[in-house]
Amino acid sequence: MTQSEINWPAALRATDSGEQAAAVRELRDVLHNGLRIALQGRSDVSAAHLEDFAQESLLRVLERLDQFQGRSRFTTWAQAIALNVAFTELRRKRWQDVSLDALMAGGERMTDPAMIADEVLGADEDRKRLVATLRQAIENDLTPKQRAAILGELREMPFDQIVELLGTSRSAAYKMLHDARRALKQRLHEAGITGADIQNAFNL
Amino acid sequence: MKPEDQRLTSEQVGTIVKMLGLTTDRELDCSECLQHVSEFAECQLAGKPLGEVITKVEQHLALCPECREEYLALIKILKASQ
Repeated sequence: MTQSEINWPAALRATDSGEQAAAVRELRDVLHNGLRIALQGRSDVSAAHLEDFAQESLLRVLERLDQFQGRSRFTTWAQAIALNVAFTELRRKRWQDVSLDALMAGGERMTDPAMIADEVLGADEDRKRLVATLRQAIENDLTPKQRAAILGELREMPFDQIVELLGTSRSAAYKMLHDARRALKQRLHEAGITGADIQNAFNL
Repeated sequence: MKPEDQRLTSEQVGTIVKMLGLTTDRELDCSECLQHVSEFAECQLAGKPLGEVITKVEQHLALCPECREEYLALIKILKASQ
């Protein structure tokens, strides 16, 4: 039987322990192979890491089996979860020594005019006005945590790390960032700065 | 880190304004994106039209570099198995 012919949810829930164990082994191999392809060439990923990621991913997929709604192939759904497990762990290792104090202090410094280098402003008057409005909005309309979260994003800090440092849940942190972006967008809108102005100023 | 190294670069300021341009009132968060990204990836590879929820996945991927990184890795796996 090929992978696409297997009824994965049924096989993984099979009451026959032999059938279930075979499905679990097969799924683990599928996840391991996908992770090997996705992470090929990364110097920070060893064979032992691949084994750990595959095992952790397998457990995560089995925990979430009830959430599979059949809108994609089962193996694609499971691979997406495996990649989330692996990349989350790799990002966490890279950023594990950053402290909340450093993130909060960095966020506060975003309101300092010196934080935006002169070359960012450029010679274009529209661009200068946009950046000045943005800086003012960051200072007046955002909370310290929102500033810290935005700075973390700009520094490419993993979202899970931002969540951990802010001591909140993922959904609360995402809402915090979403509200911050909406507030900044509203301020630009009130200043008469349109989407076209933004695109022109930054060649987007 | 020296203060001058902490300055926002032109690229970073550009990233903020680009994110503002993409911001809408209703967005998927990362968990919701993960629920739907496998369907989105298969639709993209098959050239199928996107439904409303799946369109929101596309918007989230434009805003979230982490989910985008995972999506591109998923595409790599799917292409390798074709």
